[in-house]
Amino acid sequence: MISVARPTRIPRSLLLTCLAVAVIVALPVIITVVQALQGGVTAAGHALGASSIPKLLKNTLLLTVLVTPACGVLGVASAWVVERTRLPGRRFWTLLLVAPLAVPLFVTSYAWATLSLSFIGYWGAAAIVTFSYYPIVFLLVAASLRVMDPDLEETARSLGLGAWRTFWRVVMPQVRPALLGGMLLVALDTLVEFDAFVALKFQTLSVSIYAQYQLSFSASGAAALALLSVVACLIVLCGESWLRGGANYTRISHGARRGIVRYRLGRWMPVVLIGLTLLVAASLGVPLVRLADWFAQGTRTAGAAAPVSGVWSATLTTVLLGISSALVAILLALPIAILAVRRSGRVVTAIERSVYLSFALPDLVGAIALAYGASHVAHFLYGTVVLLVLAEAMLFVPFAVVALRSTIGLIEPALEDSARSLGLGPLRTLWRVTVPLARPGLAAAGVLVFAFVLGDLSTPQVLAPPGLTTLGTQFNADSATVAFAAAAPYAGALVVLAFLATFLLMGRFGRIHALAEG
Amino acid sequence: MAELSCQQITASYGSGPILSGVDLAVPDGTLTAILGSSGSGKTTLLRVIMGFLAQDQGTVTVGGVVVSDGARIHLPPEKRSVGYVAQEGALYPHLTVEQNIAFGLPRHERRLGARAREVLELVGLSCAYAARRPGQLSGGEQRRVALARALAPRPPLVLLDEPFSGLDASLRTETREAVLHALAAQGTTAVLVTHDQAEALSTGREVAVLRSGCLVQAAPPSTLYRTPADLDVARFVGEAVVLSGEARAGVAATALGALELIDPRLEGPVEVMIRPEQIELHLPAAGSAARATPARLTRSTFYGPDTLVELELSGVSEPATARVLRGHEVPPPGSRVELTVAGAVMAYPAGEVSDPETVDAQRVGRSA
Repeated sequence: MISVARPTRIPRSLLLTCLAVAVIVALPVIITVVQALQGGVTAAGHALGASSIPKLLKNTLLLTVLVTPACGVLGVASAWVVERTRLPGRRFWTLLLVAPLAVPLFVTSYAWATLSLSFIGYWGAAAIVTFSYYPIVFLLVAASLRVMDPDLEETARSLGLGAWRTFWRVVMPQVRPALLGGMLLVALDTLVEFDAFVALKFQTLSVSIYAQYQLSFSASGAAALALLSVVACLIVLCGESWLRGGANYTRISHGARRGIVRYRLGRWMPVVLIGLTLLVAASLGVPLVRLADWFAQGTRTAGAAAPVSGVWSATLTTVLLGISSALVAILLALPIAILAVRRSGRVVTAIERSVYLSFALPDLVGAIALAYGASHVAHFLYGTVVLLVLAEAMLFVPFAVVALRSTIGLIEPALEDSARSLGLGPLRTLWRVTVPLARPGLAAAGVLVFAFVLGDLSTPQVLAPPGLTTLGTQFNADSATVAFAAAAPYAGALVVLAFLATFLLMGRFGRIHALAEG
Repeated sequence: MAELSCQQITASYGSGPILSGVDLAVPDGTLTAILGSSGSGKTTLLRVIMGFLAQDQGTVTVGGVVVSDGARIHLPPEKRSVGYVAQEGALYPHLTVEQNIAFGLPRHERRLGARAREVLELVGLSCAYAARRPGQLSGGEQRRVALARALAPRPPLVLLDEPFSGLDASLRTETREAVLHALAAQGTTAVLVTHDQAEALSTGREVAVLRSGCLVQAAPPSTLYRTPADLDVARFVGEAVVLSGEARAGVAATALGALELIDPRLEGPVEVMIRPEQIELHLPAAGSAARATPARLTRSTFYGPDTLVELELSGVSEPATARVLRGHEVPPPGSRVELTVAGAVMAYPAGEVSDPETVDAQRVGRSA
């Protein structure tokens, strides 16, 4: 990646815009802190002092500690096999390896939980979260492998290093930022994951926060608990930037514009094929087969299936919600991505990092905080679709930033400079030069956010205006009453939509690659 | 003994052939420059020798060992002990200069650090560079470190892909000297690929000209410059004035008078190739040279050590160029001058097609 940090001062308008975005994204956290304090120290202390807290915290942390490296290993190994070997059907495998991202976690978790009771508990939860989140690492690492200068690895081979040693001494240091970035997203997501654990009856902090709301209606107690996850999130963020260190990862030469020489798998071929098949079967096969099963049940028992019109209107609502949230997320992410790519320094890093605060709270807590804030300060927003869209966008801004960063980083700053020299102002330069060139990244960001909004359950449950049902809320309502046959069409529509988004994303992925090469 | 030898290398990339029947032999301890325009297949040849690309036919031998034969034998790149310097150096951004250089050394030698510093010095960089990061080096320094990295494990053969491209003129000379010195000091055999004829002529013990995947001529630089295989090679390796003429008994009659031919066997209509520095300018004076040809000077471009002048000859549509060394008087444009040609000239039978594609077609036809 060619990222040129220039020593000039940051334009004030850009800085102010970015600060505004940072504050907007941090709003749920701020409101939650206020909520926690309002309940008084005793209420907070009561919630935090509950005897179950150490166990919940332990569960959450143990899960994160297992899931994060597991996703790292699976993601890197599968990305390397797809990008560096002569594996047959590489495009096909890429799609299959990314596709699990498209299956909402609450669907996956119901699929596994109804498959066998043995998946209930720690190991089941860890496996499900790992199989659902490794595609994040896969995507980022594969993208970074694609844009890596092929000369780096070829030189290593000319110096006598085989595939294994080249991997450890050249490839790993180069993909480290992508790997750490992916693992950061996985760790933060796992810390606050909630949807996945309901069906699995696995007790984490998020689950108990939910219980606080539902059982004791204690908003301040729940907020106090949520602060624990904010602290955990901050620790993970610091840990990642410490691991990333001050090393310089910028590409120093443009490198050759050709593909890398791929390794022959030889006798490893069966091992690799079996491994990939098992991975895809576990991450994609199980939920899809269960879904088909539910469908079949629905058609067998008349009257159990959902009405077609209901599925249609829920689909339409979900698509509109996804598209508008994606657009808002891109608008929020664009200034941050530009700042992060074009400038460097502590302020810039702090601002870029601050958007990750949207992962600091369980989705549910964030949504409740926004509802609370709106009802107190901006009542005109309360219970409107606008608030829902804004909440979804804020939640997934980090993904948009990651996607935009990678393409904007590839744009030569000279292109923007020459636009300025031709008399275009900063905004017109953005519109006429940066945005068209960053189109693949914009599309990737949009599709990514769209897919995540589909899979988000908690936010619409809290913030959706009365009468607005999405595919997710409807699935959840039906599956909570164990009416899986009725729920299946909603989940099916959801999965189809998410697959469409993933296919689009993968198409863009290829274009990003082309842009990096050209 | 030839350290590297390529025999009848034929290679293709998807659609069409890129190399067809290339033979190349590089003697031990010498440097051969492969000269070709972009798309001539020079980088492909390099990749075949490295083992990054498998040839369809032909044999590559390094140090007497067949490393690939286009059929059963294909040694992977890491088993060939062939050093490689990529186009822009390809230094590892996550390592320091010293770590980069020591990259290919066995672990115990990497720890000692002595060899890395030794090679660093060899390429003309002080120890102060050892702790720097590649991003802190200039383009020329990066190329030197890349060469040092390739030389550190003492490979008998090193391949350099456009090692001086993108460097400005003075840095280019300096870097070239450092690279040549380091290669000579180690006694390393080297193959350098370039599209720049001056670079090829000034670095190679031999220069091999590659055109559309065929090796057209391989010869020492002076031979290549003086007696190019055809007019295309002549124009590719330097500036050329081409005049048509009639050859008889070792002399060609041209617009510049009767010129002595290097190859006296030619008879009949020919195209004569004269290097600009062979043409001498004289002011028309009372005692003008007997065999001088009158001409009009139309333009002159000053280069410092010499001046390039454009001349109009009567009966010749294309302008001729001549090189006037510093110290000689260059008359203003429009002046009448007289010309003589120093030394023998190359000539080629007239009408021989010099379009590369047609030449290839002929070659293929002949070999079939």
